Amino acid sequence: MKLNERSVAHYATCDSPPDKTGFLFKKGERNTAYHRRWFVLKGNMLFYFEERDGREPIGVIVLEGCTVELCESAEEFAFAVKFDCAKARVYKLAADSQAAMESWVKALSRASFDYMRLVVKELERQLEEIQDAAGAGGQQARPKPQRRHQVARSRSGASSSSSSSSSSLSSSSSAPSMTAVCSAPRSLQDEAQLVSGGSRENGVAWSKAPARAPPVPPRRFGASLESPVSPDTGCFSKLHDWYGREVEELRAQWLQSQ
Amino acid sequence: MRFNEKELVCLSRQPSEMAAELGMRGPKKGDVVKRRLVKLVVNFLFYFRTDEEEPVGALLLEQCRVEREDTQTFSIAFLDDAERKYLFECDSEEQCKEWIDSIIKASYEFMRRNLIFYRTEIHRLTGKDPLEQYGISDETRFQVNSGSQLMARDTSSL
Repeated sequence: MKLNERSVAHYATCDSPPDKTGFLFKKGERNTAYHRRWFVLKGNMLFYFEERDGREPIGVIVLEGCTVELCESAEEFAFAVKFDCAKARVYKLAADSQAAMESWVKALSRASFDYMRLVVKELERQLEEIQDAAGAGGQQARPKPQRRHQVARSRSGASSSSSSSSSSLSSSSSAPSMTAVCSAPRSLQDEAQLVSGGSRENGVAWSKAPARAPPVPPRRFGASLESPVSPDTGCFSKLHDWYGREVEELRAQWLQSQ
Repeated sequence: MRFNEKELVCLSRQPSEMAAELGMRGPKKGDVVKRRLVKLVVNFLFYFRTDEEEPVGALLLEQCRVEREDTQTFSIAFLDDAERKYLFECDSEEQCKEWIDSIIKASYEFMRRNLIFYRTEIHRLTGKDPLEQYGISDETRFQVNSGSQLMARDTSSL
């Protein structure tokens, strides 16, 4: 399978900030000795260089879908990067110290794109709630059940994001505007249900929502309904209570900070 | 450069953000348009011959520029060689817009910038760091100023 290797290698050495760097020992494939390599973690890509000043990586491990485990090894401070696919290779690595090993294990476990996506979505959701609470202008009443802004937003999500991003063609645009925020509906719950070639709309969870549509709120950026920490979205009242509680807490915090 | 091909092929089989049959043309002179099943999974764009299970290839979507070429065509070029463009022909203007939108958002760097933005805003509005509850507030990748970090390696090509 081809890969845009030259550009991938460029990504390793360009000035985007690495998430972690350091020396690790890597067990070879054919030659089973451990070799000391300079590792650079960027996003879900773990590059390794022959030496620290290497201009080009000798290899990369795509970390998406991996698990990281401590392993039994003659080598001290060893850990393994494993994948859940048939005949996958196990990458055995070893650090210089207990602290370094723990730090790498932690970093690599959270290096996946999916993990990053969940964190971003969660923060996006939190920010919305804070802004909604602020917009409510100090009302003490609980938000009404009809105020399901996430639902309406998910329906307008696809169109608002595509119209707003047609002007932001370069992926290297600096400050993300609110309207450029990802409206992709992916969450752990949605993954199995996305249809290839189908819409990006987050229609899945809300097919179980009540038939009466809520009033459409002022259009904001296309936020996803899904939250990584939300309860089972099948039960509407449970979901409502959960959102309601979160908003109450956030509003209280916000009011306190005023 | 070595890479874990088996695992990448496995990744290509995961549920995708977007997948469609598009006309695809490689960046080399003399490359022609071919029908490919193009599939976006995390920050990779995989492309398959329409009847095959294993992808012909993969493009890592970091450090790339996506541009509209005409009403139904978009291109992807990588910043290290901006003249070499991969071209994709869609069936409609709407589809083209959707793909451009999705690819722009399919990079880890894009998400990182959003995360930093949200973190800063939430902190500004509430005085609290939203990442604390996850125990990840001091990770390098989430720092507001990490963009100003320069790696020692940057000067070696000068």
